[in-house]
Amino acid sequence: MQIEATDRTPAITLTHNPLKLVMAGESFPEDVSAFYGEVITAINQLATTASGKLEVEMAFIYINSSSIKAMYRIFEGIDAYRQAGHEVQVLWRAEEDDDIMQELGEDFKDRFQALNFTVAQHG
Amino acid sequence: MAEDVFDLYDREKLLLAEGQAILEHGSHEEIQAFAERLFDRFSKLVRENEDLTRHSDRQEQRLVKLNRNLKTQTLELEQQRSRLEGLSQQLAKYLPPQIHEALFAGKYDTQITTQRKKLTVFFSDIKEFTRTAESLQPESLTEYLNDYFSEMTAIALSHGATIDKYIGDAVMLFFGDPESKGVKEDARACVEMALEMQERMLVLQRRWREQGFDNPFVIRIGINTGYCNVGNFGSDQRLSYTIIGGEVNVAQRLEANCDPGGILISHETYAQVDDLVDVEERSSVSLKGIDRNIKTYAVKGRKQETDKPLRLSHPQGVHIDLSPLSLRADDRQLIATQLKALAQRLEDQ
Repeated sequence: MQIEATDRTPAITLTHNPLKLVMAGESFPEDVSAFYGEVITAINQLATTASGKLEVEMAFIYINSSSIKAMYRIFEGIDAYRQAGHEVQVLWRAEEDDDIMQELGEDFKDRFQALNFTVAQHG
Repeated sequence: MAEDVFDLYDREKLLLAEGQAILEHGSHEEIQAFAERLFDRFSKLVRENEDLTRHSDRQEQRLVKLNRNLKTQTLELEQQRSRLEGLSQQLAKYLPPQIHEALFAGKYDTQITTQRKKLTVFFSDIKEFTRTAESLQPESLTEYLNDYFSEMTAIALSHGATIDKYIGDAVMLFFGDPESKGVKEDARACVEMALEMQERMLVLQRRWREQGFDNPFVIRIGINTGYCNVGNFGSDQRLSYTIIGGEVNVAQRLEANCDPGGILISHETYAQVDDLVDVEERSSVSLKGIDRNIKTYAVKGRKQETDKPLRLSHPQGVHIDLSPLSLRADDRQLIATQLKALAQRLEDQ
């Protein structure tokens, strides 16, 4: 899966070999369900369509509240893949001076404590 | 809604629909099992809600901070703009308006570059200024000089002149750069301006006399058209937008040779305005560095004034309607002689 970034939506890439999910950019789609539906469905199907270690990398600049709701669904799907017995590694990247994204990453880390979750800042 | 359309709240909506059915028809065990799932879902929703609210608050705080910064910056920019505007207005008094406007529009290049252009150059100064100045109180001298410069500057700008500089009581300006309407139109604008200046001087002289200035300023004007070097002269630290060249000196010499209250123009200028003004040829002047004698002409007035039709009509049978410029010179002379003879006979009756 490969979705190009727009000025309202992030770039999203999901590859099976290697198994990796990358999301980066800004997120305030006009219709959050429509935009994230495909991604959430694909993540929920990982347990049956993929195997092995899943690497997740997320780097958001801005994310609105509805998108956060969608992110919960994505993390739930990722956690379900872990629960199916696979290794999962999450890297949440926030820009160096972006406290909001940093704290949001910490919130997700706190909610999904079973995930190998790293919050990092980058310049 | 189509079934394949994803809904972020599908699980919650499903739970609500299920709950409604169970509450209406479910057994005690079914209700208990549902309550447990509902509790689990509700717990997650509360956590999500907490996170969302916290995130929303952080975004709001950032917006408030950004808004404050924006207001501060807007205020600073407004103060800066106001300072610059004041500075611009002050600078405008030291620069030719065309240059000032071009500078502030970002269209003016302050490189030390000059170009050779055919310009019409104007010089004026006040006759016997030093002696006149000595006869006046300094305060009065300042008042009359300001009056004089203000009036002349307004006329110059209204004709599109580029004011080069004020040199003591003298004014140096030119037409043809940075804007030009063509050599002919530039020269005509300059001569029209000079005529208006001398006309205005007559009004000012009357006013000054009424104010007690019994020997008011009288100005001489010299105008020449020719190739000059125009542009930025000087250094990177200090530039002067001006003109230089032999033709500039010619204009100055013409001014020095001009009758008080008059306008003396060179042949080059006259060639551009010969249908505009009546002139009287004066003695040529020569100038060091200029390898030709410069023919000079004193401007007597606008041609259209003298070209007005001569009309005389009387019910007793007199009707004269003549356009002198449309007549040949010998015809004009003949008609003038005949009219004089008729006038003489009429007087003698």
